[in-house]
Amino acid sequence: MILDLHTHSIASDDGRAKVENYCQWIQRKSLPLDGFVLTEHRQFDDVSDYRLLEDQFGLLILKASEVETEYGHVLVYGVNDDLRAALDFARIDNRLATVLEESKRCGAVAVPCHPGRPKVGMCAHWEILGPVEGVHTVETLNGGSREGENEQALQYAERYGWNRIGGSDSHIVSHIGRYATRFEDKLENIDDLVAALESGRFDAIQPQAI
Amino acid sequence: MNAQELKVRFAGHVFDKIDLEVESDSLVGFAKACGETQPKFTDPSHPDFQAVPNYPTRIHGTRGLPKDFPVEMHRCFDAGKSVEIHAAVRPGDKIQGRSEIADIYEKTGRSGKMLFIVHRMNFYNQQDTHLATVDWRLVQREFD
Repeated sequence: MILDLHTHSIASDDGRAKVENYCQWIQRKSLPLDGFVLTEHRQFDDVSDYRLLEDQFGLLILKASEVETEYGHVLVYGVNDDLRAALDFARIDNRLATVLEESKRCGAVAVPCHPGRPKVGMCAHWEILGPVEGVHTVETLNGGSREGENEQALQYAERYGWNRIGGSDSHIVSHIGRYATRFEDKLENIDDLVAALESGRFDAIQPQAI
Repeated sequence: MNAQELKVRFAGHVFDKIDLEVESDSLVGFAKACGETQPKFTDPSHPDFQAVPNYPTRIHGTRGLPKDFPVEMHRCFDAGKSVEIHAAVRPGDKIQGRSEIADIYEKTGRSGKMLFIVHRMNFYNQQDTHLATVDWRLVQREFD
């Protein structure tokens, strides 16, 4: 099963894509995606209901979040009320250690994204601020990365034995599916995704290359 | 002062108003400048002649930010505009634009920390019908 684990809709301040348009694009371009996860910036969208779109297009549409820390941006899957009470998603100065710890405590999974990116990626901060306990998965394929950024992320993942996910980081419709994550198991909801991310039975891929 | 403190102090109240009357020539000129060809936007004799949807984005108030807003404009740039249309703007409308700060927030990106200020203008006609909401984002970025 292949999911794009990193997308943004118009719910993000810099997102220009409507969720329905993502679905239409995937269908029109016959992209090999079984679904995607909306990871809106500094918030969790608990209002939108995409079940009709899921049925109409035969896609799995899940919701997560992209929060900001002193080590850069972090995707959080499995956001629930406990985690929202523990973290202020709107802040840009959350502590990575806290995000990792609280996510684990609340049954969610935190994944540093575009770790090779300057300023908002984990690698550069890792060298300066030091290692952080609790990282087990990072995004090694990010569709918004510039030359060298995904390569650095992969080097870190290999060095530390971290699992790897892929996501387009799409903000416009045509970027969805640039990268994705292939899971060995069938996923039907966010709980399945969290369990799969904890299991390590997945890998980052470039869907068109299959 | 951080984003939250700025928001508490400045957001949510009207700090500027402007009044103007919409003229046909202005509507036609703006529509053509946008490359619009539909007669209802370019031909004043059309029975449904009206402004192109993005017309309100061309209207500016007398102030970009509230008085005493602590931002260094030389470190700012335009981060884009969005418009939500509620009703058509017609020639002869006497419209009022009311400015407020709708949101202030921080984010981080490749270039570092950024402060976003959302200047919102709501437009009303002579019947106080809400015509449009234009959000103009201004960003101040951190320099190394």
